[in-house]
Parts: sequence; C-alpha cells; structure tokens
Amino acid sequence: MRSTLLLMFGGGLAQTSLVPTLAVGGVAPDLPLILTMLVAFRQGPERGCLAGFAAGLLQDWSGGGLVGVQALTKALVGFTVGCLVGRLWVASPLVQVPGLVLLSLGEGAARYALLSFFHYPAGFGELMLHVVVPQALYNGLAGALSVWMVEAATLARRWLWT
Amino acid sequence: MRARRYALLISLVLLCLLLLTLQTRGLGGGPLADLLSGLWTAAQSGLARTHRAAVGVWSAYVDWKAVRGENARLRSLAERLRIEALGVEETRQENARLRRLLDLRSRLPLATVPGEVIGREAGGWVRALTVNRGSASGIARQTPVIVPEGLVGRVIQARAGASVVQLLSDPASTVGAVVQRTRTAGLVEGDPSGLVRLKFMARDGAGVAPGDLVVTSGLGSLFPKGVPVGRIKAVEDRGSALFHYAILEPAVDVARIEEVLLVIDQSEQDVAGLFAGDG
Repeated sequence: MRSTLLLMFGGGLAQTSLVPTLAVGGVAPDLPLILTMLVAFRQGPERGCLAGFAAGLLQDWSGGGLVGVQALTKALVGFTVGCLVGRLWVASPLVQVPGLVLLSLGEGAARYALLSFFHYPAGFGELMLHVVVPQALYNGLAGALSVWMVEAATLARRWLWT
Repeated sequence: MRARRYALLISLVLLCLLLLTLQTRGLGGGPLADLLSGLWTAAQSGLARTHRAAVGVWSAYVDWKAVRGENARLRSLAERLRIEALGVEETRQENARLRRLLDLRSRLPLATVPGEVIGREAGGWVRALTVNRGSASGIARQTPVIVPEGLVGRVIQARAGASVVQLLSDPASTVGAVVQRTRTAGLVEGDPSGLVRLKFMARDGAGVAPGDLVVTSGLGSLFPKGVPVGRIKAVEDRGSALFHYAILEPAVDVARIEEVLLVIDQSEQDVAGLFAGDG
C-alpha cells in the first residue's frame, strides 16, 4: 500500500512538473489517471479505488480547485477497472487503448457532472471537444505504452532473477 | 470480500462529498492544509529543478552532437570544394596553356601538330620528353618541337603513335643559334650537369652580355629561324681560348610544359617576333 501511495504521490508531482513538457497541441496526458488504471489492473478494485482517491485528491489540491472532485471520479475509475480485470483480456492492446479512452471519457463526463452541481461555467460539448476527448485519446496511447513498459520490466526482472 | 470492497468505495465517495460540502461552506483550511502545502511546494520545486537540470544536460548533449555532426559535414564539404577548386584551377591553367599554344599555332607561318607530353626522361644520361604524336601524324626525326616561350628540342625517335624529343639540355643536343642583339653565331649545347651553354668563336666576346636573347639561327634548315632558345646568364671569359662560352637561361622551363607544337614544315621567315615575351 505504501508503494502505491508513493507511486501516486510521484505521479501527482510529475503531472504538475514533467507532464506539461509532453503536451501536444496543448493536450497533455493525465498521468495520475493512467497510474490509477495500472494499479487497478494489477492489484484489483480496492487498491485501484484507493490509488484513484489519493491521486485525485492530490490533483484537486495541487490544482487549486474543489478538493474531492477528481478524488471521487478517479476512485470510481480505479474501482471500475479493478472490477473489469477478471472479465476482459486487459493485456491486449486492442482492449487497453479503447478501454483507457473510454474510461478517460467516462471520468471526464463524471467530473463534469459533479462540477455542474457547483455551477461550473463551461459547456459540456465544448469541454468534451477541446479537453476531454483529446486527453482521452492521449491517455489511451500513453496508457497502453505504460502497460507495455510495465510488462516488459516485469519480464526483465523475472529473467534476471532466474 | 465483495461487501468490504463496496464499503470502501462508498466510504471514499462519502468522504469526497463531505470534503466538497465543507469547501462550499467555506471550511477546509487550517494548519494541516498549510503543512501539506509547504511539503508539496518543496517537492514540486525540487522536481522542477531536477527536471530543468536534466533538460539542460540533455540540451547541451543534443547541441554538442548537432555541432559535431555539422562540423564533420562542413569539413567534408570543405574537402570536396577544395578538390573541386583544384580541378577547376587545373582546367583553367590547361585552358590558358592551350589558348597560348593555339595562338602561337595560328600566328606561325608553319604547319604544326599539337602534342601532349606523356613521358619524361631526366636521369642525366638522356634528357628527353615523349609526346603523343608520332609518324602516323606526320612526325619525322629532327622535327623541331616548340612552345609559346621558345624551343624545346627536336624529335630523335618517331614511333607510330609517339615521339621522343631530345631537350636542349641533353648532353648530345646541339642547336645552331645567334645572339639576337649582336648576331654572334654559336652552338647551343647541353651539358651533363643540366646547364645549357652557348659556344661561340668571337675572340673578344663579341659584346655578348647577360640578358641577351639567343635565338635559333635557321642555318642548316633544321630549326625555323628566330625561335627563342634562352637568355645569356653569364659569359665565361677563357682568355686566349679559341671558344668562349656563355651560360644560358633556357627560354622554356621543360619541367612545366605539358603541351607542345611539332613543326612539320620549313620556312625561311624569321619567326622571332611571333613568340611570347622574348620575341
């Protein structure tokens, strides 16, 4: 659990300092969301939910917005992904990329729905078109790459130990 | 297991909603938030500094690599251009030489065949050139060989496609000549040391002085009359000896010639005025 929290803390820090340099056309991936998915893929819904909560809480707090919005949506994402692991073949890139895109879209929609209770000013369509969809696509690609890298690192570690 | 899972989810959702509610009611600050903020800011600053340093090192490396690549590319380009420039200069010089040769050929009242030097023999025993024109081009033994500066020598062997030209400095070479200013007649001979001498008979030196131009005499109808041979460099006074000698500076630097004209007919006309410089 400690390593998960450290991972989330590192991810939150990187999101504010390193990830902006990866932005393409003003769109940057949501690294804490990708890490939440990775944790949920490998460790199930409880760890995924907690990781998402921690990551979202950090993002809410560091972003200066309402603390709890992303904590809630990312906790839901972590939980959902963790529950899907046994039912979908998540090791396949054909599942990973569209899955990550759909989950990112869902997270965006959920965040918007929650924020609309607090009179969030932007329109849904505009927000989806300019922010959520591009970021979801980026998340899909970056997330699949991350899954592949983690798999490769795990294999390399096993090979080195045996 | 499943109940625990959902209990965790519901707890976290409720916690989030509580946080949101507290914030909308103006609560949520306090010393804990300040402490968290301080820690977060410090961590962010550290990471940003590390990132900047890493980017700086990377940029320096990329720049260095680019400069190194560019340097190698420019060196290669400079080398290629230098070689091209040498080629252009070579062509320019060849063009100038050929123009001068063509110019002389058109001015001379003699039939000539242009030839290219394809070999040299300068061991001391024999001093000769080989040119790429031979009997097939109408070249025969004793054909005079000239360049725009003056006399080179004569053909001593004519093969089908090449001729061997005996140079003035060959120890066996003898050319009838006169000092242009004084009309003192003599023989220009080669020397084993590579010098060219004018041997003449006048007892008093005939007023021959350094700088005087020596041209072919035209006697014997072997060489055209008036072809520059060289300039007097020094006069050797041998007292009462029958012959006097003058050392010549040859008109032609045979080490540098690459194209020649082979004179294939005869003329009584003095051609001295038709040669470059010395005429």
